Amino acid sequence: MEILRYGHDAWGRVVVNGLSWDLLPVVFGAGVAVIVIHLVIRALTRSSGRKPGPTQDGN
Amino acid sequence: MAVDTPDRVQRHALIDRWFHWVTAATMTALLATGLLPVVGIRFDWVNWHSLAGVLLTAAVLLHVVRAVTVQGLRAMHLRIRDLSSERPGKYTVPQKLMHLGWSVAVLLAIVTGLVLLKKVGVPLILRDPYFLTLETWGRLTLLHDFAALLAMFLIKVHIYFGLLPEKRMYLRSMVRGWVTREELRAHHDPEKVARGE
Repeated sequence: MEILRYGHDAWGRVVVNGLSWDLLPVVFGAGVAVIVIHLVIRALTRSSGRKPGPTQDGN
Repeated sequence: MAVDTPDRVQRHALIDRWFHWVTAATMTALLATGLLPVVGIRFDWVNWHSLAGVLLTAAVLLHVVRAVTVQGLRAMHLRIRDLSSERPGKYTVPQKLMHLGWSVAVLLAIVTGLVLLKKVGVPLILRDPYFLTLETWGRLTLLHDFAALLAMFLIKVHIYFGLLPEKRMYLRSMVRGWVTREELRAHHDPEKVARGE
């Protein structure tokens, strides 16, 4: 997996063109992971009898 | 329009709600026009992306001016004592962190994006790819890409938390402007809120 995208200038020197699009699924997965982890914590918290309020477990 | 009543207290003024939803729409348009071509959905995206970016820039400028001159920055300021177990003021720590994340993503995207307009050329801005070196354009694009990926992460998390049933008071307040006094007392410190914290 690449982190950066590369190209060449008029003199053949390697230049950075931007971030690699290989990172798209990584970032997408990171967002999904945060959501899944929160859902698990939320479910465990509720099953233990403690209802989370708006200010306890997130926004 | 939200007004304070015995049962309700205004959380977001109409102009602030408009700012939020205009920002949401322009950010969605920017992410769609910027990233759909990358995953293979080809269309003439540049002008739409640039237009949405200019609209976002205008909205953010108005928001910054209003936040500095009218609202004050105290309510969104992240402090060490926010980490205590005390009830929060207007915004919780996660909300302040979300705002900080969006500030970084949006401001970085706007600053780099406005300069990149010169590279691509849009209506009213003459294209000049030689304005900066290829290396510099690459670095600007890298920062712009980082802002885009950060926004992509934040938008999912933000929408998720906004839709949770226990957070419904915040979604309602961003649509209708108010929370009930009971909700305010239960989850925030009304005295801190009244002081603008």
